[in-house]
Amino acid sequence: MKKSKTMIICFLLPDLIFFVFVFLYPICRTILMSFFKISGVTDAISKWTFVGMGNFTKLFETSLFMTSLWNIFRIWLIGGFIVMALALLFAVILTSGIRFKSFYRAAIYMPNVVSAVALATMWLQYVYNSRFGLFKTIFTALHLKGLAAIQWTDNAHKFWALLIAYCFGMVGYHMLIFASGIERISEEYFEAATLDGANKVKQFWYVTLPLIKGVFKTNITMWSVTSVGFFLWSQLFSTVTADTQTITPMVYMYTQVFGAGNSVTEHNAGMGAAVGVILSICVVIIFAVTNKLLKDDDLEF
Amino acid sequence: MSKEKEIKKFSLKRELKLAPGYLILTLWVLFTFVLIGWVIAASFSTTREIFAGDALKFKTGLHFENYVKAWTSQNVSGIMGHSLVYATISCIALILVCAPAAYVLSRFEFIANKTIQTSLVSAMGVPMIMIVLPLFCLIARMNILNSISLNRITLLFLYIGINVPYTTIFLLAFFSNLSSAYEQAAAIDGCSPMKTFWLIMFPMAQPGIITVSIFNFINVWNEYFISLIFANSDKLRPIAVGLYSMINSMRYTGDWAGMFSAVTIVFLPTFVLYIFLSEKIIAGITGGGLKG
Repeated sequence: MKKSKTMIICFLLPDLIFFVFVFLYPICRTILMSFFKISGVTDAISKWTFVGMGNFTKLFETSLFMTSLWNIFRIWLIGGFIVMALALLFAVILTSGIRFKSFYRAAIYMPNVVSAVALATMWLQYVYNSRFGLFKTIFTALHLKGLAAIQWTDNAHKFWALLIAYCFGMVGYHMLIFASGIERISEEYFEAATLDGANKVKQFWYVTLPLIKGVFKTNITMWSVTSVGFFLWSQLFSTVTADTQTITPMVYMYTQVFGAGNSVTEHNAGMGAAVGVILSICVVIIFAVTNKLLKDDDLEF
Repeated sequence: MSKEKEIKKFSLKRELKLAPGYLILTLWVLFTFVLIGWVIAASFSTTREIFAGDALKFKTGLHFENYVKAWTSQNVSGIMGHSLVYATISCIALILVCAPAAYVLSRFEFIANKTIQTSLVSAMGVPMIMIVLPLFCLIARMNILNSISLNRITLLFLYIGINVPYTTIFLLAFFSNLSSAYEQAAAIDGCSPMKTFWLIMFPMAQPGIITVSIFNFINVWNEYFISLIFANSDKLRPIAVGLYSMINSMRYTGDWAGMFSAVTIVFLPTFVLYIFLSEKIIAGITGGGLKG
């Protein structure tokens, strides 16, 4: 087809305007901001003081920020492990030829479309409630007195309560990605493996897993990107500002820049920007590492 | 698809082998249903019954007044209206902005094409925290936060903006799969490329447009962080942020039945949408847009 320059420009321009205003310009400015001390977010550039890597070194000396980094690391690693394991298990079951597949699939994915505020409230106010909670009812019925007596929302258990509730909502999405990956594997591979005498477990290890390497990559990337933006659940589960059990870098940045909380002594938007830069670097590193570890170009199917 | 057809015939041996699988999935789904079912039941109950553990017995009948109270005194009607306006306008605008761009990117070769595509894909992975500070600075300095109507337009601009990369990439994949035979035929008949897009290709992309609009609707409806920072007034607050402050206030006043009814009101719209559209939504995640 003949290309027309006017058409390309007219059709692309609105899209690019949004992209430049909402992504390109803010990202560049955030990177710039991270090298300056800025007492108010709205200060003009002339009022910024250059501090070099000062914001970064200061952040790594702040124990609250390190706690938030530790929390997000635990959420990413432990939560990621639980979610990927459950999602893969469910995906394997779904694709094993069970009945009511679309019902199960839809029901497990469902928490993903519900407002996270509503979902978190359900967990916090119902499941974890110490008087009429679902966990208490279930564990009492199973005569597990120790588990039934747990105060899920106290300081010792809050982090785990948060992690369980968050993972519950995330499993469905990753399950769908795994299931579609498994379904793309040609039936012939499994038939050949069966003829060669491989049982179901062996087929899973030697056929399914190697062939869904690329899907793992997608899932890990998506999980990391959502983990970095961990904010809402943390805010809902914390009872005080800057709750050390649940604080994440995003919450730290929010209190640092916008908050009136007494936990932060000085307001410095540059530090908030530095938090963003650190998180972005983490995402890039994770992306590069998974790309290196899970190269899928050696397999064609 | 072929796999599903094979299992039509019932075989006990086969089903028994799958029993552990059924058990695991059923327990998980049961948990989900109990979770949601109880919250809905509790929303028709009273706070006293909830605390006595009798939320499911309805000894004093169904209490619809919880909903009436939440709807009127807590201004649920207001925040739901805001969210509905934001979500609808954003969905339409996103299609009008992204569909032409996606089409051009999928059909024409030009210098910056690959760069634009890569930038859009990378933008999907950018944490919100990287963009809010400069945006807040810009918007506050333009004195927008003091005017309700300007603030509303800004919010819409942001809702649209943050969803532009995803929508464009999704539709790009969709347009690439459409045959170019139609355009060639149209060109022979003397139809200009722009006209061809709006009259032929745009209507043909309808299934993709519908799917991506469902996602956009749900995304904007559930959006929290941007709204928290940029919607300062009660007259602007969308549902997610509104619910958060509502829950906090109801927790202090000890109105648990009211809190659960507020939760139910908020989660019902997307839930009902999902009941009708789940197949389309799931197909959209696994089939289009992001490739594995």
